[in-house]
Amino acid sequence: MPVIGIPLRRLRELLGESGGGGVSAEELVERLGHLGCDVEGTTELQRVRCSACGAIYEMTATEEVPPRCEACGAELRGGHERLAPLEVIRMELLAVRPDMFDPGGLARVLRGYLGVETGRPDYPLGEPAAEVTVDAALRDPASYRPQIACAVIEDVDLDEGALKILMKLQENLHWAIGRDRKHASIGVYDFDRVEPQIEYVAEDPEQFRFRPLGAAPSDRSQRLHEILQTHPKGMAYAHLLAAHQRYPLLRDAAGVVLSMPPIINSEETRVRSSTRRLFIDVTGMRRRVVERTLNIVVTSLLENLRGARAATVRVRDADGERLTPDFTPQEAWVDAHHAARILGIELSPAEAADALRRMRHDVTEAEDGRLRVAVPAYRNDILHEIDLIEDIAIAYGYHRIIPTLVPTFTVGEEHPLEATAQSARALLCGLGFLEVMTLVLTSDEAHDELLGWEPDPRRVQIANPISREQTRVRTSLLPGLLATLRHNATRPLPQMIFEVGDVSLLDPQAETGARELRRLACGIVSPRTGFEEIKAVAEAILREFAREAELTPSMRAPLMRGRAAEAPGGRASDPNLFFGEVHPEVLERYGLQNPAVLLEVDLDWLSGEPEGGRADGNAAARVTDRGGGEVP
Amino acid sequence: MEKFSHEQYVILKALASLEDEIGIGDLSAQLGVDQALVAAGAHLLAERGLLEIRELPLQELILRDGGRAAVTEGLPERRVLAALLDAGTPLTMQQLPERSGLTTREVGSSLRHLQHKGWARKAGATLEARVPESPPPTADEQLLSTLAEREGGRAFEGQLREAGVPVAEGLKLLKGRRELLEQRAKRRRLVRLSETGRALLARGIEEAREVGQITPEILAAGEWREVLFKAYDVHLGVRARIPGKGHPMQRVIAQTRRAFLEMGFTEAISPSVESAFWNFDALFQPQDHPAREMQDTFYLSAPPGVALPRDDGLVERVRRTHEDGGETGSIGWQRPWSAQRAAAAVLRTHTTATTVRALAADPHPPRKIFSIGRVFRREAIDFKHLPVFHQVDGIIIDRAATFANLLGTLAAFYRKMGFERFEFRPAFFPYTEPSVEVFIWVPEKKDWFEMGGAGIFRPEVTQPLGCASPVLAWGLGLERLAMLRYDLLDMRALYLTDLEWLKEVPLCR
Repeated sequence: MPVIGIPLRRLRELLGESGGGGVSAEELVERLGHLGCDVEGTTELQRVRCSACGAIYEMTATEEVPPRCEACGAELRGGHERLAPLEVIRMELLAVRPDMFDPGGLARVLRGYLGVETGRPDYPLGEPAAEVTVDAALRDPASYRPQIACAVIEDVDLDEGALKILMKLQENLHWAIGRDRKHASIGVYDFDRVEPQIEYVAEDPEQFRFRPLGAAPSDRSQRLHEILQTHPKGMAYAHLLAAHQRYPLLRDAAGVVLSMPPIINSEETRVRSSTRRLFIDVTGMRRRVVERTLNIVVTSLLENLRGARAATVRVRDADGERLTPDFTPQEAWVDAHHAARILGIELSPAEAADALRRMRHDVTEAEDGRLRVAVPAYRNDILHEIDLIEDIAIAYGYHRIIPTLVPTFTVGEEHPLEATAQSARALLCGLGFLEVMTLVLTSDEAHDELLGWEPDPRRVQIANPISREQTRVRTSLLPGLLATLRHNATRPLPQMIFEVGDVSLLDPQAETGARELRRLACGIVSPRTGFEEIKAVAEAILREFAREAELTPSMRAPLMRGRAAEAPGGRASDPNLFFGEVHPEVLERYGLQNPAVLLEVDLDWLSGEPEGGRADGNAAARVTDRGGGEVP
Repeated sequence: MEKFSHEQYVILKALASLEDEIGIGDLSAQLGVDQALVAAGAHLLAERGLLEIRELPLQELILRDGGRAAVTEGLPERRVLAALLDAGTPLTMQQLPERSGLTTREVGSSLRHLQHKGWARKAGATLEARVPESPPPTADEQLLSTLAEREGGRAFEGQLREAGVPVAEGLKLLKGRRELLEQRAKRRRLVRLSETGRALLARGIEEAREVGQITPEILAAGEWREVLFKAYDVHLGVRARIPGKGHPMQRVIAQTRRAFLEMGFTEAISPSVESAFWNFDALFQPQDHPAREMQDTFYLSAPPGVALPRDDGLVERVRRTHEDGGETGSIGWQRPWSAQRAAAAVLRTHTTATTVRALAADPHPPRKIFSIGRVFRREAIDFKHLPVFHQVDGIIIDRAATFANLLGTLAAFYRKMGFERFEFRPAFFPYTEPSVEVFIWVPEKKDWFEMGGAGIFRPEVTQPLGCASPVLAWGLGLERLAMLRYDLLDMRALYLTDLEWLKEVPLCR
């Protein structure tokens, strides 16, 4: 999760004296924790401003100024201006609550939680201030990104802090809702620089040109495809447009370009501290996402820029005409009795209603404890009544809920395979072996080559491995044991180790396409170990599990022919049990300078599980069905 | 009559005739028994309270090789003085080694003593004698030559003083000249019979054969009645024995299992190779959720996919729930659901895949299920991340279950794991609501540690599986518990095992 720094002074200003602005930073941190924010603490950030484009960078004490400005690509190390440091509350972004990404949004939530200002905030919308016409070509898969929603904000007064908040909000919403601009991207422009008649069109990237944000006064305009190749933001997001023949473009009636969504705005419409009117657009694939995102941006900006007013924009597309933003609340119902019951707290309908109002919902009490809730238009996370019940729980305070136990009696029952595994562990400990746990992800090189095996065609393989060392799942426990012995090659002898664990084998008959087998393996390294010692271990294991096995000589690597034995298995070519002396060639490859013996045995077989029972890999069968406790 | 070994018997007998205390060395000489044996015997008798040992601190002086040479050839300062007197004129520092037969270094270090003893002084680049003839032996020389006469070149300070050697003065002169003389702090032990010992002797004692080991022969012959068994020094060092032991991580797993079994939970397992359907979709995790991306989840090329459940009704209910909420009262995620994405094969990212399977297999209350297993996340290996780690997941299906019960169950579990303070903070997960994160207070680290997530399964999870009761659910990491318990800073130590560490970690911790 990205971490944000909320400027403490600004948050206090927004909360106001009566709204908790006067409380200590520690108390604010504690209350944010009660609201579900993952707060790291407070810290001081260093700030610099790019001399070329004015973008502000914030850094912790240990971070350095980035070499280049991300917004305009200018040299930043030399070309910046230092600003006063800023005390911030550092917290992880709460991805599901994008309305809490900025000081204004947080203040809105805190004022409600503290009971200073409850119920749904009202954001009056002015008459349409602009019109946007959407080119039907944008629905064509060849051009894409058909949805747009816009708003105008007037009477804004932007200081450096507010500009920074605006940029951060945009960036964080791109991450959380936009999924890195794919589903939604936001543009903010100086509305006084454009005509209020705006077109959202699809343009030919080879023909059309404009001057992207960060262009110097002397820079010529660039073709759209050039921007993707040379501008830092163009290169970063080129993958979102590269497959399309035409690129989305927003321009006014006079031909002034606002932006090429979702990549970059134009230099002409750049927002500066002198900007008094903002034009905001959100573009994307789905109307609901685009409109919700717009609601969040606009209401948060209104919270941050006190005194500003929002006006609607008329959007015309193939579906018809509508005004955006639309702050009509989402209507939902909560049963207050159900809420108290599921939370396990004493709570009257009036108290539940009060809790919801403190979470900034409007509530009307109906009969029988039913509450009619109007959810603010900036909330993106209310899918079901249960989401509002969680809001009630948070307003009530998790720390006030008294932990209790379920009153129903049930009888616990262990899984037979786990019980067998525990017996096997006790047995091997009794024989003096130390238990190890090795990595289940491995590579063909580590798993097979050193042992002299051909990689098993039945191995489970990863499509997107993170390293060359881990590309597949193990099919035996022996490679892990040998790797552990190599790791301990210089440690005192004798070494006696074992592991109980799962291996996976592809099996088209299994429900998930792979069968998981529980195995036991052990090994001894000692100057005087040999076949007799490991055979004695094998016999002890068989005896204690009351199992008999018909042994035949084994010719399996990594063991030495004539000095190894196996109990042939029923399945394919895997023996149920095999053990013996490790071939000196393998010892050499593992850097072991003393003799070693190994054993591997199938635990299902050992415990007498019928073949084709759980071992057929049927996952449903492996999930224990009804356990104890079903006494009628 | 009380039996004693030969040495103890003769010691007691010898002391019986003495009123005064006697030194161990003297006693040894008197008895003709090796001093070490007498000392050991006396020690054992003293432990039984039969005799008293008094210890006197002693300073032993031992002549070293340099001292022996000084006695035969003279101290370097005397040899330098002799050379000066021989020459009858001051000599330069360059001349002295040859004239005195000393090395340059020896000449250099003798200067301090020549000046201190007033035998010679520096005059410019030369050294001149201050005495007309070689003075009589000084205290240090007397001390050294007396020592040279003693056996082994060693003697106690007291003995030398008695012999009239000016010990204090000699030691002062020899201070810092470790090449000549070594001083060792020793103790002289004086023994005499105690009252108890005297009373015992009065009753009579006898001598018996002493043996080191109880043998079958001694037992068979009844000889154990006659012999004396040697007493052991309890501080004796012995060879280490290392028991076979469970791996520390497995001990945490075993304790976790026991905790849930004790609380009436039934254990479930399921395979690591899982369908995206059970790992994500059945849990109402939206198909475009970041956790489902290639960056965070291991997708498999073999098997290339996993068939969706044979129960078409189930798949259809899940699809509708994702798209528009279906029958659940939810509005769903408002976007199309792809069966193909649900059929992808993954390595399970949480053991919630296991508990949700158990829920689907039998959604009827009351049930308590837990599962401990390996889970996989696409993380690069470093000190606090491994692509494979362990979780314990649990669910409680119960008509009367509440969020307060969830907190109570988690608290009971962590109490069983040895923690006393918990904190529950609001959290957000796609498949639970309300959701909570569990923190435990670790007094040794003076900090809160996040242990995992929990919540009540959303209706969008339970209803498509045919469950109408509340389902409390949690998924908790286990490696962090092991790291706290065994004070590990690097998670890799658990899986790239150092066998010496395994031997050292106490089983009971």
